Amino acid sequence: METVAKKTTVLKGERRNGVGTRLSRALRAEGRVPAVVYGHGETPETLSLNLHDVVMGLTRGARTFEVEMGGQKNQFLIKEVQYDHMDTTPIHLDLTRVDMNECVTVRVGIELRGTPKGAADGGILDQHVADIEVECLVSKIPETLHPLITELGVGESLLVKDLELPEGVKATLDPEERIASVRAKAAESDEDSEEGEEGDSAEPERIGRVRKDDEDGKSDKG
Amino acid sequence: MALMPKRVKWRKSQRGKIRGLATRGNKVSFGEYGLQSMEPGWITARQIEAGRVAATHYLHREGNVYVRIFPHKPVSSKPLETRMGKGKGDPEFWVACIREGTMLFELGGVEENVARNALVRVASKMPCRCRFVKRRHGL
Repeated sequence: METVAKKTTVLKGERRNGVGTRLSRALRAEGRVPAVVYGHGETPETLSLNLHDVVMGLTRGARTFEVEMGGQKNQFLIKEVQYDHMDTTPIHLDLTRVDMNECVTVRVGIELRGTPKGAADGGILDQHVADIEVECLVSKIPETLHPLITELGVGESLLVKDLELPEGVKATLDPEERIASVRAKAAESDEDSEEGEEGDSAEPERIGRVRKDDEDGKSDKG
Repeated sequence: MALMPKRVKWRKSQRGKIRGLATRGNKVSFGEYGLQSMEPGWITARQIEAGRVAATHYLHREGNVYVRIFPHKPVSSKPLETRMGKGKGDPEFWVACIREGTMLFELGGVEENVARNALVRVASKMPCRCRFVKRRHGL
Protein backbone atom coordinates (compact mmCIF):
# COMPACT_ATOMS: atom_id res chain seq x y z
CA MET A 1 0.00 0.00 0.00
CA GLU A 2 2.85 2.37 0.82
CA THR A 3 4.17 4.28 -2.16
CA VAL A 4 7.77 5.14 -2.74
CA ALA A 5 8.41 8.88 -3.02
CA LYS A 6 7.85 10.12 -6.54
CA LYS A 7 10.63 10.10 -9.08
CA THR A 8 13.37 12.59 -8.66
CA THR A 9 12.46 16.09 -9.77
CA VAL A 10 14.95 17.79 -12.08
CA LEU A 11 15.71 21.40 -11.22
CA LYS A 12 18.02 24.05 -12.60
CA GLY A 13 20.32 25.48 -9.97
CA GLU A 14 22.34 28.67 -10.03
CA ARG A 15 25.40 29.24 -7.94
CA ARG A 16 24.93 32.09 -5.43
CA ASN A 17 27.37 34.98 -5.48
CA GLY A 18 27.17 35.57 -1.78
CA VAL A 19 25.35 34.64 1.38
CA GLY A 20 23.39 36.52 4.01
CA THR A 21 19.95 37.82 4.78
CA ARG A 22 19.92 40.65 2.23
CA LEU A 23 20.99 38.51 -0.70
CA SER A 24 18.63 35.72 0.32
CA ARG A 25 15.71 38.15 0.47
CA ALA A 26 16.64 39.52 -2.94
CA LEU A 27 16.63 36.00 -4.33
CA ARG A 28 13.22 35.25 -2.84
CA ALA A 29 11.87 38.46 -4.38
CA GLU A 30 12.98 37.11 -7.78
CA GLY A 31 11.05 33.87 -7.21
CA ARG A 32 14.05 31.77 -6.25
CA VAL A 33 14.81 29.79 -3.09
CA PRO A 34 18.27 29.87 -1.49
CA ALA A 35 19.72 26.45 -0.73
CA VAL A 36 22.86 24.88 0.62
CA VAL A 37 24.47 21.58 -0.42
CA TYR A 38 26.74 19.64 1.91
CA GLY A 39 27.85 16.11 2.73
CA HIS A 40 30.30 13.41 1.64
CA GLY A 41 33.17 15.37 3.17
CA GLU A 42 33.17 17.98 0.42
CA THR A 43 33.02 21.74 0.76
CA PRO A 44 29.50 23.11 1.23
CA GLU A 45 28.09 25.01 -1.74
CA THR A 46 25.39 27.64 -1.86
CA LEU A 47 22.93 27.75 -4.72
CA SER A 48 19.45 28.95 -5.58
CA LEU A 49 16.52 27.07 -7.11
CA ASN A 50 13.32 28.11 -8.83
CA LEU A 51 10.57 28.43 -6.19
CA HIS A 52 7.80 27.11 -8.44
CA ASP A 53 9.79 24.01 -9.36
CA VAL A 54 10.67 23.37 -5.71
CA VAL A 55 7.03 23.69 -4.62
CA MET A 56 5.88 21.40 -7.43
CA GLY A 57 8.50 18.83 -6.45
CA LEU A 58 7.60 18.93 -2.77
CA THR A 59 3.87 18.74 -3.54
CA ARG A 60 4.49 15.59 -5.55
CA GLY A 61 6.27 14.10 -2.56
CA ALA A 62 9.82 14.28 -3.91
CA ARG A 63 12.57 13.30 -1.46
CA THR A 64 15.45 13.91 -3.85
CA PHE A 65 16.18 16.65 -6.37
CA GLU A 66 18.35 16.26 -9.43
CA VAL A 67 20.01 19.64 -9.80
CA GLU A 68 21.55 20.76 -13.07
CA MET A 69 24.25 23.31 -12.41
CA GLY A 70 27.19 24.36 -14.53
CA GLY A 71 26.57 21.60 -17.07
CA GLN A 72 26.61 18.91 -14.38
CA LYS A 73 23.68 16.94 -12.99
CA ASN A 74 23.82 15.80 -9.36
CA GLN A 75 21.41 13.94 -7.11
CA PHE A 76 20.68 15.52 -3.75
CA LEU A 77 18.62 14.31 -0.83
CA ILE A 78 16.33 16.95 0.67
CA LYS A 79 17.49 17.15 4.27
CA GLU A 80 15.37 20.01 5.53
CA VAL A 81 12.90 22.55 4.20
CA GLN A 82 12.34 25.82 6.03
CA TYR A 83 8.98 27.48 5.53
CA ASP A 84 7.83 31.06 6.02
CA HIS A 85 5.84 32.27 9.03
CA MET A 86 2.54 31.05 7.53
CA ASP A 87 4.12 27.63 6.98
CA THR A 88 3.27 27.68 3.27
CA THR A 89 6.18 28.89 1.14
CA PRO A 90 9.65 27.32 1.30
CA ILE A 91 12.31 29.92 2.15
CA HIS A 92 15.40 27.71 2.36
CA LEU A 93 16.49 24.17 1.50
CA ASP A 94 19.19 21.97 2.95
CA LEU A 95 20.37 19.39 0.41
CA THR A 96 22.88 16.60 0.97
CA ARG A 97 25.01 14.77 -1.54
CA VAL A 98 23.96 11.12 -1.81
CA ASP A 99 24.36 8.01 -3.89
CA MET A 100 21.08 6.44 -4.88
CA ASN A 101 22.28 3.17 -3.33
CA GLU A 102 23.23 4.76 -0.04
CA CYS A 103 21.36 3.87 3.16
CA VAL A 104 19.99 6.99 4.84
CA THR A 105 17.91 7.84 7.91
CA VAL A 106 14.90 10.02 7.19
CA ARG A 107 11.65 10.99 8.86
CA VAL A 108 8.48 9.78 7.16
CA GLY A 109 5.00 11.09 7.96
CA ILE A 110 2.20 8.85 9.16
CA GLU A 111 -1.30 9.54 7.86
CA LEU A 112 -3.86 7.25 9.46
CA ARG A 113 -6.38 5.72 7.08
CA GLY A 114 -9.98 4.83 7.90
CA THR A 115 -12.18 5.27 10.96
CA PRO A 116 -11.51 2.91 13.88
CA LYS A 117 -14.38 0.63 14.87
CA GLY A 118 -13.85 1.82 18.45
CA ALA A 119 -15.00 5.29 17.37
CA ALA A 120 -18.48 3.90 16.77
CA ASP A 121 -18.46 2.58 20.35
CA GLY A 122 -17.77 6.02 21.72
CA GLY A 123 -13.97 5.90 21.62
CA ILE A 124 -11.66 8.78 20.72
CA LEU A 125 -8.73 8.29 18.36
CA ASP A 126 -5.40 9.69 19.56
CA GLN A 127 -2.37 9.87 17.27
CA HIS A 128 0.76 9.90 19.41
CA VAL A 129 3.40 9.95 16.69
CA ALA A 130 3.05 12.06 13.56
CA ASP A 131 6.21 10.84 11.82
CA ILE A 132 8.81 8.15 12.39
CA GLU A 133 12.46 7.75 11.58
CA VAL A 134 13.25 5.02 9.06
CA GLU A 135 16.40 3.61 7.53
CA CYS A 136 16.35 2.72 3.87
CA LEU A 137 18.00 3.21 0.51
CA VAL A 138 17.59 6.65 -1.02
CA SER A 139 15.70 5.12 -3.93
CA LYS A 140 13.22 3.43 -1.58
CA ILE A 141 12.19 6.25 0.73
CA PRO A 142 8.42 5.95 1.24
CA GLU A 143 6.37 9.08 0.59
CA THR A 144 4.01 8.79 3.58
CA LEU A 145 2.91 5.78 5.59
CA HIS A 146 -0.84 5.11 5.51
CA PRO A 147 -1.61 2.47 8.15
CA LEU A 148 -5.19 1.18 8.17
CA ILE A 149 -6.81 1.64 11.57
CA THR A 150 -10.35 0.37 10.94
CA GLU A 151 -9.79 -2.65 13.20
CA LEU A 152 -8.79 -0.63 16.28
CA GLY A 153 -11.28 -1.05 19.12
CA VAL A 154 -11.55 0.94 22.34
CA GLY A 155 -8.41 0.47 24.42
CA GLU A 156 -6.41 -0.91 21.49
CA SER A 157 -3.29 0.61 20.00
CA LEU A 158 -1.39 0.64 16.74
CA LEU A 159 2.27 -0.05 17.47
CA VAL A 160 5.39 0.55 15.41
CA LYS A 161 5.72 -3.21 14.88
CA ASP A 162 2.20 -3.26 13.36
CA LEU A 163 3.24 -0.92 10.55
CA GLU A 164 3.50 -2.54 7.14
CA LEU A 165 6.71 -0.97 5.94
CA PRO A 166 7.80 -1.39 2.33
CA GLU A 167 10.58 -3.86 1.60
CA GLY A 168 13.99 -2.56 2.57
CA VAL A 169 12.61 0.04 4.97
CA LYS A 170 13.33 -0.35 8.69
CA ALA A 171 11.93 1.74 11.53
CA THR A 172 14.49 2.89 14.10
CA LEU A 173 11.89 3.44 16.84
CA ASP A 174 11.15 0.92 19.58
CA PRO A 175 8.74 -1.68 18.07
CA GLU A 176 6.49 -1.37 21.13
CA GLU A 177 6.10 2.41 20.68
CA ARG A 178 2.47 3.47 20.26
CA ILE A 179 1.53 5.32 17.10
CA ALA A 180 -2.19 5.65 17.65
CA SER A 181 -4.73 4.41 20.14
CA VAL A 182 -8.45 4.57 20.76
CA ARG A 183 -9.44 5.59 24.26
CA ALA A 184 -12.81 5.63 25.93
CA LYS A 185 -14.49 8.98 26.17
CA ALA A 186 -13.68 10.51 29.56
CA ALA A 187 -16.43 11.36 31.99
CA GLU A 188 -17.35 15.04 31.94
CA SER A 189 -15.20 16.98 34.37
CA ASP A 190 -15.46 20.59 35.48
CA GLU A 191 -12.30 21.56 33.66
CA ASP A 192 -13.43 20.12 30.35
CA SER A 193 -16.88 21.54 30.75
CA GLU A 194 -18.46 22.83 27.57
CA GLU A 195 -19.83 25.85 29.31
CA GLY A 196 -17.42 28.64 30.07
CA GLU A 197 -17.68 29.93 33.61
CA GLU A 198 -18.06 33.58 34.39
CA GLY A 199 -16.05 35.54 36.90
CA ASP A 200 -12.39 36.33 36.52
CA SER A 201 -11.89 38.61 39.44
CA ALA A 202 -9.24 36.54 41.23
CA GLU A 203 -5.69 37.78 40.81
CA PRO A 204 -2.62 35.60 40.36
CA GLU A 205 -0.11 35.17 43.14
CA ARG A 206 2.93 37.49 43.11
CA ILE A 207 6.33 35.85 42.81
CA GLY A 208 8.88 36.81 45.46
CA ARG A 209 6.74 39.49 47.13
CA VAL A 210 5.59 39.33 50.75
CA ARG A 211 2.08 40.69 51.03
CA LYS A 212 2.39 43.90 53.04
CA ASP A 213 -1.33 44.54 53.12
CA ASP A 214 -1.65 41.64 55.52
CA GLU A 215 0.30 43.75 57.99
CA ASP A 216 -0.66 47.37 57.37
CA GLY A 217 -3.63 47.14 55.01
CA LYS A 218 -1.85 48.80 52.05
CA SER A 219 -1.73 47.21 48.65
CA ASP A 220 1.68 47.04 47.02
CA LYS A 221 2.40 48.80 43.73
CA GLY A 222 3.59 47.08 40.68
CA MET B 1 -12.59 30.59 35.78
CA ALA B 2 -11.05 32.44 32.85
CA LEU B 3 -7.52 31.61 31.75
CA MET B 4 -4.79 33.53 33.54
CA PRO B 5 -1.34 32.78 34.96
CA LYS B 6 -1.18 31.22 38.42
CA ARG B 7 1.81 33.28 39.53
CA VAL B 8 3.21 36.52 38.10
CA LYS B 9 6.28 38.59 38.81
CA TRP B 10 4.49 41.90 38.18
CA ARG B 11 0.76 42.64 38.49
CA LYS B 12 0.59 45.19 35.66
CA SER B 13 2.36 45.48 32.34
CA GLN B 14 2.82 48.18 29.72
CA ARG B 15 0.90 47.85 26.48
CA GLY B 16 3.86 47.03 24.24
CA LYS B 17 3.90 46.54 20.48
CA ILE B 18 3.50 43.37 18.48
CA ARG B 19 6.39 43.35 16.06
CA GLY B 20 7.34 40.76 13.50
CA LEU B 21 5.90 37.48 12.36
CA ALA B 22 5.40 34.18 14.16
CA THR B 23 8.60 32.17 13.92
CA ARG B 24 7.49 29.55 16.39
CA GLY B 25 4.11 28.22 17.40
CA ASN B 26 3.14 28.53 13.73
CA LYS B 27 2.84 24.85 12.76
CA VAL B 28 0.21 22.19 13.39
CA SER B 29 2.06 20.22 16.07
CA PHE B 30 -0.46 18.33 18.20
CA GLY B 31 -3.61 17.68 16.17
CA GLU B 32 -4.32 17.13 12.52
CA TYR B 33 -6.01 20.45 11.66
CA GLY B 34 -5.44 23.95 12.94
CA LEU B 35 -6.67 27.52 13.01
CA GLN B 36 -3.93 29.98 12.12
CA SER B 37 -4.00 33.70 12.75
CA MET B 38 -3.51 35.94 9.70
CA GLU B 39 -3.19 39.17 11.68
CA PRO B 40 -1.37 40.27 14.80
CA GLY B 41 -3.37 41.34 17.84
CA TRP B 42 -4.58 40.63 21.33
CA ILE B 43 -6.91 37.73 22.06
CA THR B 44 -8.59 37.95 25.45
CA ALA B 45 -8.99 35.04 27.84
CA ARG B 46 -12.75 35.20 27.28
CA GLN B 47 -12.36 34.93 23.50
CA ILE B 48 -10.03 31.95 23.90
CA GLU B 49 -12.51 30.27 26.23
CA ALA B 50 -15.39 31.05 23.86
CA GLY B 51 -13.46 29.42 21.03
CA ARG B 52 -12.71 26.34 23.11
CA VAL B 53 -16.36 26.02 24.16
CA ALA B 54 -17.54 26.45 20.54
CA ALA B 55 -15.22 23.67 19.32
CA THR B 56 -16.03 21.28 22.18
CA HIS B 57 -19.75 21.89 21.75
CA TYR B 58 -19.64 21.25 18.00
CA LEU B 59 -17.56 18.08 18.39
CA HIS B 60 -19.95 16.64 21.05
CA ARG B 61 -16.87 15.85 23.16
CA GLU B 62 -15.32 13.76 20.39
CA GLY B 63 -11.76 14.26 19.17
CA ASN B 64 -9.20 16.46 20.86
CA VAL B 65 -9.14 20.23 21.07
CA TYR B 66 -5.75 21.85 21.66
CA VAL B 67 -5.52 25.51 22.68
CA ARG B 68 -2.10 26.71 21.52
CA ILE B 69 -2.18 30.20 23.06
CA PHE B 70 -2.29 31.48 26.63
CA PRO B 71 -3.15 34.93 27.98
CA HIS B 72 0.04 36.00 29.77
CA LYS B 73 -0.47 39.76 29.55
CA PRO B 74 -2.62 41.72 32.04
CA VAL B 75 -4.55 44.72 30.70
CA SER B 76 -5.49 47.38 33.19
CA SER B 77 -8.14 50.06 32.99
CA LYS B 78 -9.43 52.89 35.12
CA PRO B 79 -12.96 52.77 36.54
CA LEU B 80 -15.65 54.93 34.91
CA GLU B 81 -16.04 58.56 36.02
CA THR B 82 -12.59 58.62 37.59
CA ARG B 83 -10.35 61.66 37.29
CA MET B 84 -7.04 61.20 35.52
CA GLY B 85 -3.96 60.55 37.62
CA LYS B 86 -3.75 58.62 40.88
CA GLY B 87 -1.72 55.90 39.23
CA LYS B 88 -2.33 53.09 36.82
CA GLY B 89 -5.68 51.31 36.90
CA ASP B 90 -6.23 47.80 38.17
CA PRO B 91 -5.86 44.73 35.90
CA GLU B 92 -9.20 44.07 34.21
CA PHE B 93 -8.54 41.14 31.92
CA TRP B 94 -5.80 39.01 30.41
CA VAL B 95 -4.75 38.73 26.76
CA ALA B 96 -2.54 36.59 24.56
CA CYS B 97 -0.35 38.54 22.13
CA ILE B 98 -0.67 37.00 18.69
CA ARG B 99 1.61 37.45 15.73
CA GLU B 100 0.74 36.81 12.10
CA GLY B 101 0.99 33.05 11.59
CA THR B 102 0.42 31.95 15.20
CA MET B 103 -1.47 28.67 15.51
CA LEU B 104 -4.44 29.39 17.78
CA PHE B 105 -6.31 26.08 18.04
CA GLU B 106 -5.76 22.55 16.83
CA LEU B 107 -8.11 19.60 16.42
CA GLY B 108 -7.33 15.91 16.18
CA GLY B 109 -9.19 12.62 15.98
CA VAL B 110 -12.00 13.90 13.74
CA GLU B 111 -12.77 13.97 10.02
CA GLU B 112 -11.65 16.94 7.99
CA ASN B 113 -15.14 18.28 7.26
CA VAL B 114 -16.05 18.09 10.97
CA ALA B 115 -12.81 19.84 11.92
CA ARG B 116 -13.40 22.50 9.29
CA ASN B 117 -16.91 23.22 10.54
CA ALA B 118 -15.76 23.32 14.16
CA LEU B 119 -12.89 25.69 13.39
CA VAL B 120 -15.17 27.99 11.37
CA ARG B 121 -17.20 28.39 14.55
CA VAL B 122 -14.04 29.04 16.56
CA ALA B 123 -12.83 31.58 14.00
CA SER B 124 -16.06 33.55 14.41
CA LYS B 125 -15.17 34.04 18.09
CA MET B 126 -11.71 35.39 17.29
CA PRO B 127 -10.95 39.11 16.89
CA CYS B 128 -8.57 38.48 13.97
CA ARG B 129 -8.75 36.94 10.51
CA CYS B 130 -7.93 33.24 10.67
CA ARG B 131 -7.52 30.39 8.25
CA PHE B 132 -7.94 26.61 8.37
CA VAL B 133 -4.73 24.60 7.93
CA LYS B 134 -3.81 20.92 7.82
CA ARG B 135 -0.75 19.17 9.19
CA ARG B 136 2.02 18.64 6.65
CA HIS B 137 2.97 14.96 6.58
CA GLY B 138 5.87 15.14 4.16
CA LEU B 139 8.69 17.62 3.90
